[in-house]
This record gives sequence, structure tokens and C-alpha cells, in this order.
Amino acid sequence: MIKHFLTNILRNVRHNKVFTFINLTNLVVGFAVFILFSVVVNYELDYDKFNTNYDQIYRVQTRQEDSYPTNFCTYSPAAFRYHLMADVPEVEQVLLMREVSGGAKGSGQFFTLPDGSQLYELNGYWSENSIFDIFTITLKEGNKSNALTEPGTIAISETLSKKLFPEGNALGKQVTVGKRFPVTVSAVYADFPQNSNLKATYLVSMATYPVLSGEQAYGENWTNISFDNYILLKKGADPKLVDAKIKDVFKNVKNFEKSSPYLHPLSKLHISPNSQPDVIVGLGIISLAAILVLVLASVNYVNLSLANSTQRSKEIGIKKVIGSSKKLIASQFLSETILHTLAATILALFVAQASFPLLNRILNRNIDFSIWGNGQLLIFILLVSLLVGVLSGLYPALVISAYNPVKVLKGKIFSNGGNSFSIKKVLVAAQFSISLFMLIVSFILFNHVNFILNKDLGFDNKNILYTEINPRDKMKFETVKTRMLQHPEIAGISFSSTIPFIGNIGGYVTWQGAAPDEKEMISRNYVNYDFIPTYNLKMAYGRNFSKEYPADNKGCIINETALKVFGWSDPIGKQIYLEGKPFSVVGVVKDFHPFSVHNPIPTYIMFLNNNVISGSTLLSVRFTGDEQKARSLITGELVTIFPNDPFEFKDFSVAFYLDDAIPFWQSMKRMFMFFAVVTLVISTIGLFGLILFTVKRRTKEIGVRKVLGSSVGSIYWQLSTEVIGMLGFAILVGCPGAAYIYKTMPGAYKEPLTASVFIIGIVLIAIIAQLTISFHVLKVAVSNPVEALRYE
Amino acid sequence: MIYLNNIDKYYDSKFQRTFVLKAIKLEVKEGEFVSIMGPSGSGKSTLLNIIGLLDAPSAGEYSLYDKSVLDLKEKAKVDYHRNFMGFIFQAYHLIEEMTVYENIETPLIYKGVKSKDRQAMVADLLDRFNMVAKKDLFPQQLSGGQQQLVGIARAIIGKPKLLLADEPTGNLHSLQGEMIMETLKTLNDEGMTIIQVTHNEKFAEYGKRIIRLEDGIIRKDIAGNTKFASIVK
Repeated sequence: MIKHFLTNILRNVRHNKVFTFINLTNLVVGFAVFILFSVVVNYELDYDKFNTNYDQIYRVQTRQEDSYPTNFCTYSPAAFRYHLMADVPEVEQVLLMREVSGGAKGSGQFFTLPDGSQLYELNGYWSENSIFDIFTITLKEGNKSNALTEPGTIAISETLSKKLFPEGNALGKQVTVGKRFPVTVSAVYADFPQNSNLKATYLVSMATYPVLSGEQAYGENWTNISFDNYILLKKGADPKLVDAKIKDVFKNVKNFEKSSPYLHPLSKLHISPNSQPDVIVGLGIISLAAILVLVLASVNYVNLSLANSTQRSKEIGIKKVIGSSKKLIASQFLSETILHTLAATILALFVAQASFPLLNRILNRNIDFSIWGNGQLLIFILLVSLLVGVLSGLYPALVISAYNPVKVLKGKIFSNGGNSFSIKKVLVAAQFSISLFMLIVSFILFNHVNFILNKDLGFDNKNILYTEINPRDKMKFETVKTRMLQHPEIAGISFSSTIPFIGNIGGYVTWQGAAPDEKEMISRNYVNYDFIPTYNLKMAYGRNFSKEYPADNKGCIINETALKVFGWSDPIGKQIYLEGKPFSVVGVVKDFHPFSVHNPIPTYIMFLNNNVISGSTLLSVRFTGDEQKARSLITGELVTIFPNDPFEFKDFSVAFYLDDAIPFWQSMKRMFMFFAVVTLVISTIGLFGLILFTVKRRTKEIGVRKVLGSSVGSIYWQLSTEVIGMLGFAILVGCPGAAYIYKTMPGAYKEPLTASVFIIGIVLIAIIAQLTISFHVLKVAVSNPVEALRYE
Repeated sequence: MIYLNNIDKYYDSKFQRTFVLKAIKLEVKEGEFVSIMGPSGSGKSTLLNIIGLLDAPSAGEYSLYDKSVLDLKEKAKVDYHRNFMGFIFQAYHLIEEMTVYENIETPLIYKGVKSKDRQAMVADLLDRFNMVAKKDLFPQQLSGGQQQLVGIARAIIGKPKLLLADEPTGNLHSLQGEMIMETLKTLNDEGMTIIQVTHNEKFAEYGKRIIRLEDGIIRKDIAGNTKFASIVK
């Protein structure tokens, strides 16, 4: 019997090649999308699970009732380590860490390479030795018991080790950090896996921290909330109990009365680092979209099966007459569906694995994942596949097996199709609504990305190189400027505490004419005389800082937004007050974008610095001509001026593109494009099935019409009217949905919504629908009406 | 064997009841060869479908071997189809995706006959109908007459007591038609009860009994080898 079933199914595949192809494509697309996004969700949920102590590791975080925008901070003070967690009996191990400071470049440091050049490495941490007891880390060189116990020691990742010591054997060798601090390599560890929340490239022993930072009493500090406190709880200990024990610790810390520590489990560090549900919501949306795609594909399968069953009704009728029971026919169809879905799933697994690079591009991620290596996932997908097979096979199987053999054998089955047909129409219309919605949204996002990439920033962002420098010794800026400007390639140079897109210093000001309680949050920048000309900022009123006015060190320049906020009609000479000190306005600069273009332009005030480079500073150089040449030129000059301080010049336009928001929007755009294409494919197949069904049902009618002299055109028109209704529905649902997304899209500056995105989306869908119809009509048109009208 | 009493078949539309069959009374004994004749729309096929349990009468009695077969459960009907009766159709109705061999074998699979026995039975029948060489061909590759022979083979492989043939020669030219009728006659001689519906006066003569239907009513029921010509006039 099974052999009989199988040959039957295979013969049917051979007999209905087009049908099988379309239906399999439909299922493969559905399953491949489902698999891909299951992998993503699975990957995200599996973060950090490689740690053997997974269930016992917690980070002690800080809840701050009075902070904005979130009440939860992932950092905590170092005092937790010494005066709180170490005393809790449930805690087995404590670990204090801190990101190495790197200012504007992110948490990193410079290392001196063997050839003397500087290498900037991100993701460095100060850490205690207990990191090796708590987290699962494999040492390539060194000893876990004492790798990070001594001051002046560093543990480095294998990758960094290869860069610093290409010849190998890093253990015991010295590296120089920041051109001045020599540390000894005490261990080399295997790189943290991709799906680890903590991805340290190097760990400097915590015992080195007070030596280098000069903060001897850091362990007594309750208010410097910038450390990472990890703990390992004893097996079976209740974190809630620990939470209750430690919650009142800030009660007597001035200004921190509303803060409290809490344990955040390792399982949530990745998906919800500061106890916000954003990642979970994101994963939920992805899961929903993936399930939706699979459901749409299953619905198509049902529709296509039913449409195709008209062709197979004769076979069913005969089988019934010669003694097959309803049950046998139903199980034949069901097993056929299950076989189809299983085959589609296996194909989809290959497709999914092959499309991983695409997925990584869409999500802007770097997931390295082998589907074949994950047994749990495979079993899950196989179960889903069986479920889909049973669910989408059951209905057609029941309908088909109930065919009346007498009617079927006389070819009467669909001659009086009832109104059940409209359900299919609604489903296809819904599919089209979704794909139209996705299409329009991806067009909107496409426009938006272009808009933000091309928006006028209010300053000249081309031909600028910048670097952060933190010199050991003070240096007069004029010295630097004179040396740089010797070269005709250098058009200008300035230094400031922040530059557009990089860095922000906040603060509150009041101003002349403000109400008694009124204050304004500002973004401030300490600049030298050359900042405004270097960035080609335009003055609206007044003048730039100038050496001719010694009083300018008590002056400031505000932007137009600030002018509006302060409500002055004649700004020059007016006073603002920062930290109680008065500054008088010497000029108003035209508004420009100090932050990424999604943010509104802030109230922005520039103050004059003393023209001496000391502490962490940003140097900006405007060059002309070739960038490479300019870079080597200024790097050469700067090395001679600051021989003991590491730095690295960067292209400003790169900083602009690396701004977090841009990859995010690009990723969103690609995501919607992807789903738009997928839903479009699936809804096209859905429409294809629907029209196929209609055509099959009406073959006879069309035959009669042709015999009576009807043209192909009128048949085409007849089928088109069915689709026009569905398109109308899709437009009614899809367009307002997309407009709503545009409205709620975050970002202070958006391009106005144009009709073109809607029109292009609708036209695209309409063309695809018409092509689908044309395919069927062409088939009918070339067929001989006699075939359709023959008795049998 | 077959007993029909006052069988009605009608369709109700809004204002009137249309009778397809009316007060049919018919008894068929084992070993009979009955030809049902009549113009198009006279209800021949409906009668055959009712006898074949493919259609249910609107009223009346129907029993096989003194057992009523009205309101049979699905399972019991399938049982009759598997073990008691075989069907032959005008358009052969072979399964196009199956070879000659598989078409003939299928009823045995439904009956649950073991694979070895199936092979022997199909081989026997192929041999008898001289179709051994054609067993791996698909129906489209055969002539009409050959297709109908396969149809007969499929109908009788399960050794049914009753063979129902709905215009078995309707799509065939006369030479092939005669061959099919000869085959049916031989089967009848071997003891199989056959009821055929036909338009062809000559082929109706193969029957031992001819029933003429008109507008759903049995007009004539002539037994024996009565010459057709004498009936008409």
C-alpha cells in the first residue's frame, strides 16, 4: 500500500510539473524565510549559553528612579564589589570590571606594534582574575589561577596576540599601551565566541587600575557608576533574595537616594541589557513576520491543491468506484501534502543556509551559523514542517475525498461553484495588502536613507581629517598650527572638545530675560579661534571669536535654535549663565547638525578655550587635494610634535556614515525590502492559484464563449475585474498602513511623504497581477475550445 | 440477486418535481446478461448508478440477495465495490498516471490482497486478454479497444458477481466494439451477471434480456433471444 502511495505521488509530480514547481517554490520560500528567522531568534536567545555557569552569572546593575530616558543602568560603582557583594552569603564569586576609557573612539587603547606603529583596539577591560572562574574562557597560554592577579599584567585574545606578536609565544613579553604604559602579557585566551555578550579583546588586571588612573580609593566610591560588577551565585541560590538584601544600600548616599542595585541574569544581558524590552519586541516582530509568511505559504498551498484537484477529480472518482474508501483517498492526499512539505523543508534548509550572507547583510550582523550543526533547531523545523503538512493537507484531503464519483466522472464537479470562493479572494486580497504595505514602506525607507545621507548638515563635512589626542604634556596650539600650515595642502586646523557627531557635553544654562525657574539643557563645546572657519560654519549675526577681543574668553557663540529659545531680538551682548558664571554673546552661528540628522538640532553654545592643548582633545584638519597625501603629511607633523602620544587620523565623512543611526535605517530598509519581495512572491503565487482555480472552473464557460465568438480580450477583461477588486482592497489597507508607519517613524527630520512611493508600489503590484492573469489567459486563448467542451 | 421495487429518482426545483426514474420494478437473477436501452435522458445511467450504489434512489426498495442496500454506511458500500461488483465505463476511466499493470492491480490493493497473489492474478488476466506485452504501457499509449479491455480486466480482477457496464462500446468503432462484447459474453457464459447500458441495438442483442426505458419508466422488458426487429414494429 505504501509503495502504491509513493508511486502515485511521484507519478503525479511528473504529471503536473508546473503545479508541483509552483507549489514547491511557494513552500520553499515560506519555509526558507521561516528557517532563517528561526535561526536569528534562536541565535539571539542562545547568547552566552556556552558559559558553563550560565544560570548562576548575574551582573549587578543600578536602578535609578530619577534618571531619563531609562531608569536602568548597566553600570554600577566599584564599592559594590568591596563593600556589598562580597558580604552576601549567596555569592560565591565577585568580579569587578571596567571598560578602558577611550573617549570619542569608544572603549579602547593604542598598542605599539613590533614595527613601532600604533594599533587602536576596542573592547578592552580592566578585570579581576575571577573572570576566569565565572566565565568560560579557554586559555591558550598562561595560567587561570594567577593571570590577572598582579599589577602591570594583561591578558590578550588570540587575535590580538597574532597582531602584536606575529612570531607567537606572547607569554611574559611586554606590550606598551598608549605609548607610555608597559604591561606584561600574562595570558592569551581564545577569542570570545560571536554570541557572547562580553567580547573583550584584552583584559588589564584590576590591580593596575589604581596605578594608572591614580584613583587609589576607587573601591570606596559609591557615586562613580561606571564599573561592571559580575557575580557568581551559589548553586540554587535565589537572586530575588539577594535583591532584597542589597536594595537599600544607596539610602545614605547623597544624591543617590533613589538608586538601588539589582541582579540582572546573564540570560538577559544581550536581549535586554538595561531591562528594556526593545530587543524582545524586535524578536517578537521578526517571529511574527516569519510565522505570517509561513501561514501565507500554507494558505497558498491549500488554494493551489484545491485548484489542481479539479484536474485530479477523475482519478479520485475512479478510485472510489473500484473500491477505494474515502479514508484511503484522504490519507493519500494527506501523505502527498506531508511529502511535499518535507521535500520543501529540506530544500528550504539548503536555501536558508545559502542565504545566510544575505541575511547578515540585511540585519547588519555577522552571524556565523551552521543549520546542520544544530540538532535541536532541525528537530524543531521538522516538527513545524509536519504540522504545516498536516494542517494544509487536511482541508483539501477532506474536500477532495468527499467528491461524488458520479458527478466527478461526468466532469460536473465545479460547474456550480458556490460562494465559498470568496474566502479565497479575501485571503489573496489580504496577501496583496501585506505586500503592498511592505513595498511602500520599503520605498519610504529607501527615500529616507537617501534623504539623511544627502541632507545639508550646515557645515562642510568634506575634506576633514580628525583625531583625538590626549597628550602627556601641554602644548600651545599655535605651535601646531604654524607647523601644519607650512604645507599648502593644509587649509585649516582647529581644536575643540567635541566635533559634530562625535562627543557631547551637556549642561544647563539660564539667560538674560529668563523666568526665575527657567533653565535650558544645552550642548556645549569648547573651541579655539579656528573652529568656525575650519568647519565652514556660517554666522547669522555678530562675529567669530577673535584675538583682537581679549574679553572673548568671557564670551560665547550661540546657534539660531538657542536664539529662538532665549527669545532675543538683538542677541549681541546679551548674557547667558553657565554654572553661575556670565558669558556674553558675541555671535550667532547658523544652525547646523552637531548630532546625527535624526536628532533635532539642540540648543548649542560654543565657548572659547585657552588655545592650549591639554587633556583629551579633538584636532580637525581641513585639507585640499589628495586625502592619503594629506594624512601622511599631518600624521608626520603630529608625530614629531607629540612623540609620546598615540593618535590616529580619521576621515570625517567615515564618521558620518558610521553614525549608529545610518546602519540602523539601512538595515530596516533592507529588512522591509526583503519581506516585500518575499510577500510579493507568495502573493503572486496565491493569485496564480486563484486565477488557475477560476480558469479551471470556467473552462467550459470560456469554451462556450469562444465558440460563440468572444475575443481573448473580453476573457482577459473578465478575469481582470476579479483582480481589480482585490487590488482596490489592498490599496485601501496597504496605503494608510504605510502612511502610518511614516508618521510614527522616529527622527526629527523627514522628507515629506510624496505620492510617488504609493503610485510606484501600486503600479508594481498591478503589473504583477496583470502578468499573472495574462499567463492564464494566454493558455486559455491558445487552447482549442472543443477540448473544453467535449463530453468527457 | 438484484431486486428493485418502486424505485423513484427525482429532483425538486422551485416549482416542480422532475422525475428521472419512476416506479422502476426490476429483478435480475444470477447469471443474467441484461441490456438497458433507451434514448438520451431516459434514465439508463441513473438506473445503473443506483444499482452500482453510486447514486441513491429518492424512494423505493433495493436489495441485493434479499438484503436491503439502502442507507448503507460508507464502509459497507466500499465493501460492495471491492468484492461484489465491477464497473466499465464508456470513456474507460483508466488512471492516466498508472501503467496497464498498475491499473489492473489497484482494486486488489484496496481489497488487501497480498503482493504475491496480486502478481499471479494480474499475470493471469493479462495472459487471458493477450496484453502481457503491453503491461508497462500507460493508457494513452493504447488504442480505445485495448483501453477498454484493460477497463474490463480491472473490473473483473476482484472476481465480482456483478459487472456493470455503462455504454462500454460507446467510444469504439464497431470491430473493437464487437471484440469487447464477445469478451463480455464469454464472462457471462462463465457465470458472471452483467448489466449493460447501450445505445447500440446490435450490441444490445448480446444480452439475454433487453429492458427499454423511456422517460424514466420501463416500457418493455423482453427476455430471451427475441429478434430486435420484431420488437420495434
